[in-house]
Amino acid sequence: MLGKLIKYEFRATGRVMLPALGVLTVLVLLANLSVRLLDSRLSSFLTVLLVLVLIATFVAVVAAELMPIIIMIVRFHKNLLANEGYLMHTLPASVHSLVWAKLIVSLVWLLATNLVIVLLGGLSVLHLAQMNLAQLLAGFPSMEELRRMLASVGLNMADFYLVLTELALIIILSGLVSCLHFYAAMALGHTFTRRKGLMSVLCFVGISFAFSLITNLLGIQEVEYLNTVTVVSIRGGLNVLHGTMGKSFFYLLAQGALLYAATVFGLQKKLNLA
Amino acid sequence: MDWTFRGDQPIYAQLISRIKQGIVSGDLPPGSRLPSVRDLATEAGVNPNTMQRALQELEREGMVYSQRTAGRFVTEDVHLIEGAKRAFAAEHIRVFLEGMGKLGYGRGEILALLQEEKEDAHGNSGM
Amino acid sequence: MAILECKNLSKHYGKVAALEGVDLSIEPGRVVGLLGPNGSGKTTFIKLVNGLLTPTAGEVFIEGAKPGPASKALVAYLPDRDFLADWMTVEQQIRFFADFYKDFDPEKAREMMARLGIDPAQRFKTLSKGTREKVQLILVMSRKARLYLLDEPIGGVDPATRDFILDTIIRNYNPEAAVIISTHLISDVESVLDEVIFLKEGRVLLHEAADSIRETQGTSVDRYFREVFKC
Repeated sequence: MLGKLIKYEFRATGRVMLPALGVLTVLVLLANLSVRLLDSRLSSFLTVLLVLVLIATFVAVVAAELMPIIIMIVRFHKNLLANEGYLMHTLPASVHSLVWAKLIVSLVWLLATNLVIVLLGGLSVLHLAQMNLAQLLAGFPSMEELRRMLASVGLNMADFYLVLTELALIIILSGLVSCLHFYAAMALGHTFTRRKGLMSVLCFVGISFAFSLITNLLGIQEVEYLNTVTVVSIRGGLNVLHGTMGKSFFYLLAQGALLYAATVFGLQKKLNLA
Repeated sequence: MDWTFRGDQPIYAQLISRIKQGIVSGDLPPGSRLPSVRDLATEAGVNPNTMQRALQELEREGMVYSQRTAGRFVTEDVHLIEGAKRAFAAEHIRVFLEGMGKLGYGRGEILALLQEEKEDAHGNSGM
Repeated sequence: MAILECKNLSKHYGKVAALEGVDLSIEPGRVVGLLGPNGSGKTTFIKLVNGLLTPTAGEVFIEGAKPGPASKALVAYLPDRDFLADWMTVEQQIRFFADFYKDFDPEKAREMMARLGIDPAQRFKTLSKGTREKVQLILVMSRKARLYLLDEPIGGVDPATRDFILDTIIRNYNPEAAVIISTHLISDVESVLDEVIFLKEGRVLLHEAADSIRETQGTSVDRYFREVFKC
């Protein structure tokens, strides 16, 4: 069931996301071209045109960051809380699989969009600096060099991979938590009979407020902890980093679990389609 | 066959009557095979359970019989069919006489009117 | 086993009781009319059976199971509105149903669509209202479910479409399944019903065989309904 739901989720959202990312890519390429062509010898008409392309690209990049979030919200609402809900909630699939399908696909689009933006940005930088890929790669350290650099401060490759993994996990988890932030707000907002939209916004604000309150309460302890630890060595510092990452990880996990429970509660026990 | 129903009588009773009429009129000849319950129900626009009930009643009366896998067939008993035809006729006559009676016609007048009708019909049949 | 069984089923919204103390059981092979004026609880009842609402009190069992993914596989539901993903084509909708419902017969659906001249390559949202309703009906009726829930299937369609819908319901008849038709257009569907349930202000007023109402009351179910629910 989950696999099938994910398949249709990708199809439904891909219809908008892929063209959007395509347009973004084209615009960035055009922008790069415009920069290359901009020249004081050009007519004012062409200059204005090229500058417009640059502005459009800038707007597109900003919009691109927002795209996955907007699509995620609209999709969740349209598919689970509007008329399509009559279809989705009567499929022989559990509420859990319905929510996870959306979470996974939203996460993929969030990561993909950011990846595309980073890649396009990198290409643009390369282009502007008039380097090519080979020159860029030459500037990065090789595996051997990296190992020697780490060894010189008492670390090894395992530490490196561990930190990378922790970082990846935290990025993924915070992506999921961001999605759940919206989903829980919408699911809870729609349990109200009237003004569902307004209640969803209020729930979102309420959740944000509640969490930042808790974060502040916990954060204070964090700072104290850091102050009391004397960083004797790089390894000691690394352990502190692991500790912080670990705490963040579990805090995110707790947030996620709570928001997930709220989402499922709203969609199951309190479902009230118009 | 015309399958319009009155709302105020049980449908299964009306189905029995309608199918019997079909048999008597020759639309459903003696010994012929009846369509399946589902097809009949679809044609009549009624619930298959109701059609089944009507057919079962007709079986009890002997107007139709079923052969295990072959389906349902109209009886070949001409006497029975004739009897049913007579019963319908008797009912039509009863209703007719009742209606005429309400208009105030006596038996003699009714017979005279019928005679007129018959002569008119002969006269018109030439045209 | 009864296809549907309700024990003291109730749904309250705050102080308002949309459904109250409903006890009933429906056997396989029955076509049941759920009749009542607007707001009498027909849609609430149907939503409780297919899991779109959870009861405030009481229980509902579909072939002995509470509403959940397992019961949803047995129930074919046709709501009174557009409920399909409107960006998909008709053919994609058929594949969607085939994907999620094991009891769905895609060939039957395609054949019925073809018979009505519905182009499978058309996007759902571009179809006319009447065609959309037909597509939805065909998809739901092409399932070999144990319980069909049809919420106002003939309201707002032209008479020819109405005939098609009733025709489909009869043709689709399965002695192991039950069909519940919720409607307020009684005279059109009467002849198709085995049993009728009258619902008034969330309560079951009566649950009887249609023909016995005709026999004991000497009127059609439609006429009897009007008498019972006279304003």
